[in-house]
Amino acid sequence: MNKEISMKKVSVSFTLNGDPVSAEVPVTWSLVKTLREYFELTGAKQGCGVGECGACTVIVDHDAVNSCLYPIPEIDGKSVTTIEGMAGKDGSLHPLQKAFLENNGVQCGYCTSGMIMSAKALLDQDPDPTEDEIRTTIAGNFCRCTGYVQIVEAIEMASGIRDL
Amino acid sequence: MSDYLYVGKNIPRSIETDKVTGRAIYIDDLKRPGMIYGKILYSRYAHAKIKHIDVSKAENLTGVRAVLTGYNIPDVRVGFIRDQTVLKKDVVRQIRDEVAAVAAISPEIAEEAIGLIKVEYEELPGVFDPFDAMKPDAPLVHEVDVRGKPIRSNVLPLPWRFQAGDIERGRKESAHIVMDTLSTPWVTQACIGTSGCVAEFDSNNSLTLYNQTNVPFWDKQRITEYFSQIGLEGKRVRVANVVVGGSFGTKLDTDIYEFICIQLALKTRKPVKIQFTREEEFQAMPPRQPTHFTIEQGCDKEGRLTFRKAEAILDNGAYTSWGATTPSVMMMPMSSLYRVPNVSFVATCVYTNNIYCQAMRGYGNPQATFAVETSMDSLAKEAGIDPAELRLINCNQPGDVTPMRLRITSCGLKECIESVKEKLNWDVKRGKRNRRGVGMASLIHVAGGARVYKSDGHGMSIKVDEHGNVDVLSGGTDQGQGSSTVLSQIIAEALGFRPEDVSLTFGDTELCLWDAGTHASRHTFIAGNAALMACEKVKKQILEMAVEHMPGIVKYRFKREKRKNPDFVEPDLDYGLISDPEILDIKDRMIFPKNDPDHLFFKMDVVQVLRNGLHVGTGESKTVMAEAFYDPPTEMLDRELKGNLSCTYAFGTTGVEVEVDIETGEVKILQLLAAHDVGRAINPTLLKGQIYGAGYMGVGYGLTEEVKLRNGRVMNANLRDYKMLTAKDVVPVTPIVIELGDEDGPFGAKGIGEPGLVPTAPAIANAIYDAIGVRIRDLPITPEKVLAALKDMGGVC
Amino acid sequence: MIDYDYIKAESLEEVLRLLKQYGRRATLIAGGTDVMVQIRNTKKAPNVLISIRGLKELAYIRKNKGYHIGALTSHRMLEQSDLVRRELSALNDAASWIGSVQIRNVATIGGNICNAAPSADTAGPLLVLDASVVLEGPEGRRTVPMTEFFTGTYRTARKKDEVLIEVHIPEEIKSFGSAYWKHSRRKAMELPLLGVSVALKLSKHKQIADARIALTVAAPTPVRAYKAEEFLKGKPFNDDVLKEAGRIASSKECCSPRDSLRCEAWYREEMIEVFVPRMAKLAAKRIGTE
Repeated sequence: MNKEISMKKVSVSFTLNGDPVSAEVPVTWSLVKTLREYFELTGAKQGCGVGECGACTVIVDHDAVNSCLYPIPEIDGKSVTTIEGMAGKDGSLHPLQKAFLENNGVQCGYCTSGMIMSAKALLDQDPDPTEDEIRTTIAGNFCRCTGYVQIVEAIEMASGIRDL
Repeated sequence: MSDYLYVGKNIPRSIETDKVTGRAIYIDDLKRPGMIYGKILYSRYAHAKIKHIDVSKAENLTGVRAVLTGYNIPDVRVGFIRDQTVLKKDVVRQIRDEVAAVAAISPEIAEEAIGLIKVEYEELPGVFDPFDAMKPDAPLVHEVDVRGKPIRSNVLPLPWRFQAGDIERGRKESAHIVMDTLSTPWVTQACIGTSGCVAEFDSNNSLTLYNQTNVPFWDKQRITEYFSQIGLEGKRVRVANVVVGGSFGTKLDTDIYEFICIQLALKTRKPVKIQFTREEEFQAMPPRQPTHFTIEQGCDKEGRLTFRKAEAILDNGAYTSWGATTPSVMMMPMSSLYRVPNVSFVATCVYTNNIYCQAMRGYGNPQATFAVETSMDSLAKEAGIDPAELRLINCNQPGDVTPMRLRITSCGLKECIESVKEKLNWDVKRGKRNRRGVGMASLIHVAGGARVYKSDGHGMSIKVDEHGNVDVLSGGTDQGQGSSTVLSQIIAEALGFRPEDVSLTFGDTELCLWDAGTHASRHTFIAGNAALMACEKVKKQILEMAVEHMPGIVKYRFKREKRKNPDFVEPDLDYGLISDPEILDIKDRMIFPKNDPDHLFFKMDVVQVLRNGLHVGTGESKTVMAEAFYDPPTEMLDRELKGNLSCTYAFGTTGVEVEVDIETGEVKILQLLAAHDVGRAINPTLLKGQIYGAGYMGVGYGLTEEVKLRNGRVMNANLRDYKMLTAKDVVPVTPIVIELGDEDGPFGAKGIGEPGLVPTAPAIANAIYDAIGVRIRDLPITPEKVLAALKDMGGVC
Repeated sequence: MIDYDYIKAESLEEVLRLLKQYGRRATLIAGGTDVMVQIRNTKKAPNVLISIRGLKELAYIRKNKGYHIGALTSHRMLEQSDLVRRELSALNDAASWIGSVQIRNVATIGGNICNAAPSADTAGPLLVLDASVVLEGPEGRRTVPMTEFFTGTYRTARKKDEVLIEVHIPEEIKSFGSAYWKHSRRKAMELPLLGVSVALKLSKHKQIADARIALTVAAPTPVRAYKAEEFLKGKPFNDDVLKEAGRIASSKECCSPRDSLRCEAWYREEMIEVFVPRMAKLAAKRIGTE
């Protein structure tokens, strides 16, 4: 953990991937910094720090959010799901994870955690989205490698619209 | 073609499952014990004298471990022509010049320390346009060259002059001649993972650089040379890649931040991480080479090209990196895209106080192809010939030797043009001028390596252990294109194992054999061929081991059977079937005699052979391992810049249908067909992924992307203002995969990483012309440019 | 280095008390998508961030003699609301195109208005929907019409010790159709180069009974194009009329677009001319869709 010098701290308790957790971190920390450095869950990435790239996307109480802009004091009492919480406890992959691998929705993979969390938030609320709805969902997740096509297809596969 | 088990199949990327579970370690995620963080102070001015640097406040900040400037580290020149130092002393020549660096216990403290460094500058006049920089009274960006000799001009002494045939004769033979002036902008790679590395010295002063490079062995070479100049002669350098968050050319050079990171690690004796913020990635990461082209082309009455003459002016920026070598690749489309007998191409690189440039996907080919393919359409109009027809008339053919002496072996250009033409419904849609139009452009690119260096080789070592695990060490790198999956398919196919048996380690100079680098779309071809060579040796070892041990394995089985059941009678088998490696084969990790593939006793898991081969008990144990170094039979470019530098070439054609909103100037792409002559698709899904990704990047290049520089400063240094496309910006891309095989490629495959991007922008420009009669010769083709051109013309015509 | 106190208020009374206590040292934060970004980009922060994010009672969309939208209603709520889509269409358009889903999930309409960027997407629609804002302060509650709310670039009529608690749109707007066009280079993650909002009411004889036009990124603040509105009133709803309204709206009489790095003034003017008629047509189509 970074050695911070005389920063005001805050204590938060919340649910992280199904488990009750708590942390005491500097007040100025964002959710992504807390996840990465306090909890050592490095799946969510800080690609820009200003909510523009989407690589830090996690789910807070069913909503996909940019965790780089989420002030850590606000997480108290909430439920957070990250990419590390997607697979089953026995390691079995979520249909989204499987579909991304099968359909080449992953190339360099840097945007992948954020992409999958955005997609999960969508499918949890709407299991049968249109292509336009999928594209709207991931519009805030930049990908430079794939041209998005195989990502959209992977999300359709995971929702059962397209054959895996 | 389809009797392969794995080649040609859509094997999923299961080898990279860590990327979908958050376990993959990118440079952001790498932590080394005791690691601290480095940050860089950049110049405030594009051109200025450094009068004084005061680092006292920074040094005294709690948590700071080192502050470096050009004055307290060795004054060593680095770079392609050694025209810059690691930290700048006396003069800054571009706004991204690195003036100081700090290492501290947290990135926040490092950043605060950067803010405490006081630099006193005396601003100097700058020059921000290559044409201005070529004027006799222009301020000089460099006053002396690397040897200390005075420089009198901003024009770089680089040899980019290509001449083949006789231009004047070509002119005389022309019935039609056109000239176009074009320009392409700075665009940036914009990888989602930003640049960075971790440098760590051990107790012997050996360095490990955890990096994201495309060229680990050149990185090691350049750092080793640097070491010899800073008192670390003979110390070991290890470059080892982490998982890379994209490259697109950003990692072909040894960047200044790498040297800075090494210096900070040396000074503090701690592992140091430098990672760019997004803003830094835009401001400090050298982008694609911008160009100004003048191109003249002619054809005879029948539409056969007679000559092609082009000049390019390149804004080199303040220092020299790969951007200055892009003309060597530009020569390829200039001389060899379509059959053209007389060619002249001159490129001039000019120093300015703008940001310097490096490699980006396509490496000069997208810029030059924009020029060539715009000119082709201009010529088609002038000659009254259908643009597709003009291309077919001059189409490259297998067996051609081009003016650059490129030997075309496999070539599917004709098939690409025709398939695009057909699928676009070209004949029906073209020429309507009704705000909808179609256009096309083609490409040629190296696809069988690229002999830029004396060695264009790739070394691979493969070992197979007694569990049947195939462990591969490959000198190449993976930036996300899926090399691990593709190579696992090639190796599995060649050995007779399964892709899941194969694990690959890339890009570690300590473990892997030399590779020239993952660039020039060479990886599948070169590494694939190296793999085939290594597999042949490995398979031979396994089959020889089998001949030695299989009879014993079978007999031992009978012995055990007899012990259990005394009435058991040992079958009378023909051991001749397994007596020679030549008559054995492996498929699906099962070894069997070719003459009786389903033999009840002689078909067995290879693991049994391997285990028996290792655990012999009499001092005859063997392991299975082989290496191969594949260096293709190609040439370096000679003094005239001619030579067959690649084993084979990729061709392709992109066809676009657009609809233009003539009130707003906005261009909508109705369909984009990308036909690529790939030889063979080892993994069609992965191959299409390259086409989609490169196609999107090409659309951005054509319509929306531009790094906006004003007086040397990047003004749109964020993802909101740099217009890379989002998922909502739908471009319907249809890949057309032309598989004609290639005699030199592994299983007939050629390269595809860059071709997808190259012809996209000119195809769009040509389609816009067809739609509204407006030709934009200056990328990106923004709505403003279209609208302004329509207004000048007085409407669509 | 950046450091601040972060106080999560639990009631409106507490917010007002904290505002009084900290004065200039404090900034209100709701969704955080503007405030956190500003802190990152400027590397400066106020001493205290007073978070009103927890005031869930301020997140609502109600129809009761007019439309009442709580200041903490997220853009995602506005985007997904059938009521807003049908009856306050321009606002639905605006909310749907802000940033990304991740941003819309936390960014609030109150935050968007109070940040008062000249490019604020919801500003134009609220201007044409005759909206007013309700501010709560130590002296009590007051209502300010949207047309008086933006006092300058990034400046509003909200006093430092006041909290914006509700946006109110009058019932009469129900008989209008409305539309908002966000002109941008990409279809997501954008600030508008230009925003055109139109609300229209037609008479039985297909005449324009009433019209509102608002422009964003065409002046130091979001503005109404009054001269163009006046021109439209009472005229027949046809292409020529709409075209002229567009011309007036793009003229110096109504706006003053500037050259900026993102876009040049001449193009902004052109787009006003093009999109006023287009949005007027869309607004007309949407009249009485319920």
